[in-house]
Amino acid sequence: MLEVKNLRKEYAGLTAVQGISFNLHPGDIFGFIGSNGAGKTTTIRMIATLLEPTAGTAILNGADIRRDTMEVRRMIGYMPDFFGLYDDVKVWEYLDFFAAIYRVPTKQRGEVIDSVLELTNLTIKKDAFVQSLSRGMQQRLCLARCLVHDPTLLLLDEPASGLDPRARAELKELIAELGRMGKIVIVSSHILPELADFCNTVGIIERGELLAFGPVSKIVTEMQPHRVLAVQVLGAAADFVGPIADMPNVLSAVAVGEGDLRVEFSGDLEAQADFLAKLVGKGMRVATFREDSADLEDVFLKLTTGALN
Amino acid sequence: MIKEKWLDLVIQNPMLIEITRFRRRYTSASATSSMNGVVVLLCIICYATLLLVVIQNRTSISPIVMIFAQTAFLTVLAPMLLYGSISGERERRSWDLLLVAPITKPQIVVGKFMGAMAALGVAVILFQVPIEIAATSYDRSHWQSVLVADLVSVTFLMCVCALTILFSARVKRSLMALGATLGSLVTILIVFPALVGLGQSGPATDAAFFLHPFVVLSRIGDRDDAISRNGAGTVGPGTSQPDFPSNVPAPWWGWPQTLTYLGLTIVLLAWASNTLNFAENEVKFLPQGHKDA
Repeated sequence: MLEVKNLRKEYAGLTAVQGISFNLHPGDIFGFIGSNGAGKTTTIRMIATLLEPTAGTAILNGADIRRDTMEVRRMIGYMPDFFGLYDDVKVWEYLDFFAAIYRVPTKQRGEVIDSVLELTNLTIKKDAFVQSLSRGMQQRLCLARCLVHDPTLLLLDEPASGLDPRARAELKELIAELGRMGKIVIVSSHILPELADFCNTVGIIERGELLAFGPVSKIVTEMQPHRVLAVQVLGAAADFVGPIADMPNVLSAVAVGEGDLRVEFSGDLEAQADFLAKLVGKGMRVATFREDSADLEDVFLKLTTGALN
Repeated sequence: MIKEKWLDLVIQNPMLIEITRFRRRYTSASATSSMNGVVVLLCIICYATLLLVVIQNRTSISPIVMIFAQTAFLTVLAPMLLYGSISGERERRSWDLLLVAPITKPQIVVGKFMGAMAALGVAVILFQVPIEIAATSYDRSHWQSVLVADLVSVTFLMCVCALTILFSARVKRSLMALGATLGSLVTILIVFPALVGLGQSGPATDAAFFLHPFVVLSRIGDRDDAISRNGAGTVGPGTSQPDFPSNVPAPWWGWPQTLTYLGLTIVLLAWASNTLNFAENEVKFLPQGHKDA
């Protein structure tokens, strides 16, 4: 379990992270969302023991990032937003090097390297030089490096940046598989659709402040507690605003176009069906009727202002 | 305790991959190392020429002169091998991956040092061929002197390697490390002696150059000459040192410097190790414009 407690980072005259707290459990895939410069990388680097927090701490399975640095390092796999590879070694040598650093027993290293290469689909590149790999393969090699010591926590900073759609899809599947393996995965990104697909928990950060945290559906519900219905009618929408506003469960009704209405509705699905029937019963010629459900992007845009540190 | 340290830093040090990387850099046919390949080819041509010259003039070339040449050549080569050892990792951003790994600072420094020493070791072994040819043919050479001179040379090179790693650990850019190392060596080996030489001349200056490797090698050669002319007991302790052009006794040239260079190497490596910061102080090393800088 990872407990982040009031983690704060100040540089000279600048507060990069303003005391954020959250907890993650095995199997959680946590999407860390924020604009460039919001504080995602700083937070990840603090958890990775690369930066010393100004205040607060994070505890991974009982090991404190400030006090038990080496123990924490043995439990984390960190993939930065750059490759940082050694070009002049072969793929298996690169992994063997990190396996040695993480004290994987010599006799087990071959087996471990084979299994992480298989997991990242790089087995055929085992004897290739790192510099000969494509960008997507290098990204997967970075992930393989993170896995050689079977870490508890994976910190992936912008893992899909610069990848083509196929490589992104493969990476998403791989991360989802790691979650199913019971690892805690923290993925940072500013590309929201990338995260919404496979993260079961998200956190939205802006100017170093954690604005929202929790499952995607919960955050969306919190941000938009009522249903929003988009109704398209034949005729002038403005003429229908008054009658609709008087109907049960309707919180507000606004004409947003020639024949388009936006209705905020507090009822359940059954009430929603009744509402449609009443509209038709009142002689309105309804062309389309749908629930306009919010997604992560809407929530993000609603919560954040785009301001940078 | 010592055995554990030895295993940790030398036998089981994962940074020994540096030896493989050095080998690859200078023997691989890949595109990035093609320039290194050209350098290696030039070195082989120079080496073959040197070998031919020594074979043809073997009775007139002192082995000490060859060790002198070895020291001069490798003193320039060592910084070239190591200037990016740590600053290069920072520039490549692979440094972060080492920082988050459970590896100790001494392991990193010693691993880098041993990688360079392995590369220099090959060069030293190659130099031994002309040195041994000269030593067996030159009538005024003595095996003990050749051995001591070689030790002086090798330990001085270790010191140069440690100095380069120290600079590489302390600066932001690799080229700054190279410039600082070469600048320091030029100051220590050329500018300082030239300045001292302007004020004083003759054997009296020897005391000031007690640790200057080329002065040490010269004195070992002079000692050989003196022994050849006057006999083995003439330059030892308590003798009048006829024909020995130094105010520092002859036995003081060789072993004391070797031990001093070894000690200095350890100090410089420890200093380099202490320079490495595993937390936010690294920020100051990040290139300007980086988002964490």
